[in-house]
Amino acid sequence: MAEAGTDRAARGEAVLACDNVSRSFGGLQALKNVSIEIGPGEIYGLVGPNGSGKTTLVNAVTGFYPPNSGTIRFEDRQIAGVKPHKVASLGIARTFQNVALFKGMSALDNILMGRHVHMKPRALASLFYWVWAEKDEVANRRQVEEIVDLLQLESVRHEPVEMIPLGMQKRVELARALAAEPRLLILDEPMAGMNQEEKEYMVRFILDAREALNLSILLIEHHLDVVTAICQRVAVLNNGEKIAEDAAKNAMSHPEVVAAYIGKVATPNSADAAHVG
Amino acid sequence: MFYRLAGVYHTTYAGERKLWPVPADRWQALGVLALGLLAPLLVGDLYLSSYLLPWLVWTAAALSLTLLMGVAGQLHFGFAAVMAIGAYTAIHLTRFGVPFEIALLGAGLMAAAIGSLFGAAALRVKGLYLVMATLAMQYLVDWTIINVPAISGGAQATLQAPEVSFLGAPMTNDTVQYYGALLWAAFLTVFIMNIKRSAFGRALVAVRDKDFAAAVIGVNVFRYKLLAFFTSSFLGGVSGAVLAFCYYEAVTPEQFSFDVSIQFVAMVLVGGLGSVIGAYLGAAFVLLLPIVLTNLVAGLADSGLLTISQNLQSHIPLMAYGALIIAFLLFEPLGLAKIYDNLRNYFRVWPFQHTRN
Repeated sequence: MAEAGTDRAARGEAVLACDNVSRSFGGLQALKNVSIEIGPGEIYGLVGPNGSGKTTLVNAVTGFYPPNSGTIRFEDRQIAGVKPHKVASLGIARTFQNVALFKGMSALDNILMGRHVHMKPRALASLFYWVWAEKDEVANRRQVEEIVDLLQLESVRHEPVEMIPLGMQKRVELARALAAEPRLLILDEPMAGMNQEEKEYMVRFILDAREALNLSILLIEHHLDVVTAICQRVAVLNNGEKIAEDAAKNAMSHPEVVAAYIGKVATPNSADAAHVG
Repeated sequence: MFYRLAGVYHTTYAGERKLWPVPADRWQALGVLALGLLAPLLVGDLYLSSYLLPWLVWTAAALSLTLLMGVAGQLHFGFAAVMAIGAYTAIHLTRFGVPFEIALLGAGLMAAAIGSLFGAAALRVKGLYLVMATLAMQYLVDWTIINVPAISGGAQATLQAPEVSFLGAPMTNDTVQYYGALLWAAFLTVFIMNIKRSAFGRALVAVRDKDFAAAVIGVNVFRYKLLAFFTSSFLGGVSGAVLAFCYYEAVTPEQFSFDVSIQFVAMVLVGGLGSVIGAYLGAAFVLLLPIVLTNLVAGLADSGLLTISQNLQSHIPLMAYGALIIAFLLFEPLGLAKIYDNLRNYFRVWPFQHTRN
């Protein structure tokens, strides 16, 4: 699998290609020469202990913390250093580790907000709402209802987002990201704090969305059962370095990965350490 | 939380996003508009030109400010300066013989240009620092107007508003002045409500609520903050011109001092941030309540029920007014608009109170 991905990248087909990306904050080197490539339609997992640089990598891709060195290519464009709102309009959407919905709006308005790059928001258009903005609003509302239907959010669409349960909020956030019709979706711990049932729902929605919208997905997740179940390939980060990249099941039993997660086992044979994990 | 009123079913997406989706609210709004239109017949000249008219103009100013402070979440403590720019621009333009309608537009554009110039500088900071930056605007504009004779007409000068007509109606007539203010307030009401239900307003709210999440879905945060400053300053500038021509009929720098800026902020806060009806209620509270309180205390003193000195008589209303503002912010931080909303919900579901919340 890993070889297949590299081949695709070599033919220039990778949707996202990070090459030797480094980023430091003061004296802390959060990312050290990390390279990953995500092929079209792939679900690519990114795992690692807390503070290993997963979210920093995502922030480098989405333009919040531009890399100090290295290149990031999305489809055919260099996006290292491009501003977040420009990255969004190129076709990358993401969700946040802590739910980042707009509290003053209903779930529906939050999802409609995801259509921002497809709408024409102007003060003058608002002034002449009936002849100028209404058509745009209705057309985009129709698109949003497709997403609402896909993620089964009908019952909460008119609720203020702060009133609905966390699992639903995470789903609304996913809906907002999907409403932008991205080609690459970055999910930062979409299942944090969820119970087993909510997790299963979420996995189903992610797979459905990938199929319906033809997405490539970069998934950060601590639930390793989810990662091994739905990711084609997984990269493991530790202290800002990529220590393994492989098909999901193999990556998890990689000795260095086991060491990073549960500490080194004092055996001379590293194969035994893998066995412990 | 969410429920439908009996018998109200929306069958189209456009219908659900009407200005007033509930028919009862629509009739209520029409009723208020009718009262506003008939007011010159219903109330005396004194009430019309010294209560209703300033209330409408101040409401217009509060509506312009609530777009910036409430919807877009950018604090502005120099809004009187924005209005001053509009008022002085309109008066100078009409003195040069520019038609009043175009002078209004010029007033808005000038206020928007200077307002967003300060905004562009101020928007690099947030929260309290933004307050300081907008305060600087207030004092800089004040100083410029007072010290440049070409603008103020000389030290301690009062600039008389020239006699103009709006769409053929002479603006010196009390009734025409009233209808001018009513037209502007009604226009702003619809404009702000339209902004709030369309993509532009949603983008502003997104920037207010979580700027990084707004950026990640494609909103250029700085641009939208600046657009909020521009739009709000434009409307504020026109409101200033309307204030000068419909109410004061002459301008002096003191009419647009720092105190007035604070009054606008109080209107927006007491009324309810970002609320249209809140702007009406807040303006009424800040503008009319001191008058009511003064009359009340004076009436009590005159009738002999309250034997207090003249001095105390003039201070009690101020104290009561301050106490009331604090009480409102303590008991209902979301302002008068929220109180109105609570009342409305109470009657909407009465007597089935369990359906609330």
